[in-house]
Amino acid sequence: MLTDREIHRYSRQITFIGEEGQERLKAAHVVLAGAGGLGCPAATYLAVAGVGRLTIIDSDRVEMTNLNRQILHWEQDIGRNKTVSAKEKLGAMNPDLFIEDICEVITGQNASALIGEAALIIDALDNFPARYALNQAALEHGIPVIHGAVSGYDGHITTIIPGETACLQCIFPDPPGGSEFPIIGTTAGIIGLMQAHEAIKFLTGRGTLLKNRLLIWDGRDSSVTFLNLERDPVCRACGECAQGPGSERGDL
Amino acid sequence: MKIMVRAFARFREVVGDVTALDLPVGSGLPAVLAALASRSDESRDLLFDEQGMIREHIIFMVNRKRVSRSAMDSIILAEGDEVAIYPPVAGG
Repeated sequence: MLTDREIHRYSRQITFIGEEGQERLKAAHVVLAGAGGLGCPAATYLAVAGVGRLTIIDSDRVEMTNLNRQILHWEQDIGRNKTVSAKEKLGAMNPDLFIEDICEVITGQNASALIGEAALIIDALDNFPARYALNQAALEHGIPVIHGAVSGYDGHITTIIPGETACLQCIFPDPPGGSEFPIIGTTAGIIGLMQAHEAIKFLTGRGTLLKNRLLIWDGRDSSVTFLNLERDPVCRACGECAQGPGSERGDL
Repeated sequence: MKIMVRAFARFREVVGDVTALDLPVGSGLPAVLAALASRSDESRDLLFDEQGMIREHIIFMVNRKRVSRSAMDSIILAEGDEVAIYPPVAGG
């Protein structure tokens, strides 16, 4: 049930998604995996849209080199946990938002417990080992994941529905190499915002999701291309012979 | 026969947006990759590792349909086919 204050605060979007849509956002528990370049813009727009509960998971501390893109972290935050920094800013933006901050690395051992009973997961991580662990846990719990990744001027996003669409390991059976990527802040902003947009569509039930479609953003000429995806019957994570948690890359 | 190659992300910077290759009839994906790799050291390094194996993480598509790694050698291309190459990004 929305309060009068909430009806007023969200009036410009309630005329679009209705009070029912707003109530769905309020009732939603979203896990944000990563509070970096993708996570900051995604969390910002989910917070101001009125999502009720956000669990932010990130093990890093804010560094000076993060500040070209990680817009929830400021100069004053250097050295602080990203989860604490993000929680502080998001709480100030929307005091009605319930935020849990978890300063941990996502692994095959803890991913399942970390995501709990969330309605939706935003994969805003910066490495594939953790993404695979998150994917495996999401498959086990049947929780949809909105996956995004970026580098330089390039980015991509897709929505993974367990049992229905290709999972992360169907799409990317082998992890791209590298650990530190060049990045223009706007690329992370664009893909992070697309993730928040996809989340709002999913939670309100309005619009068409990026299911079995990989949206590829090319910032060089601001072009968008779609690659059609399909489940891999021999996928190590969700295929017929999948070995479940603790196997292969899930055991990280 | 003419094969169109669409490159994405980092690979687009190296070989250009759309490239037309003229290959012998009956060529497959290995011939496409060999032709692209011969263009520059950078192109070869993006496609192949130090042992000369195709880099595992790259996504290949023929006429917008994903090609599994096991099918890479068996596909025979036809005049006008489009091969798309996407080296996925990973950062966040």
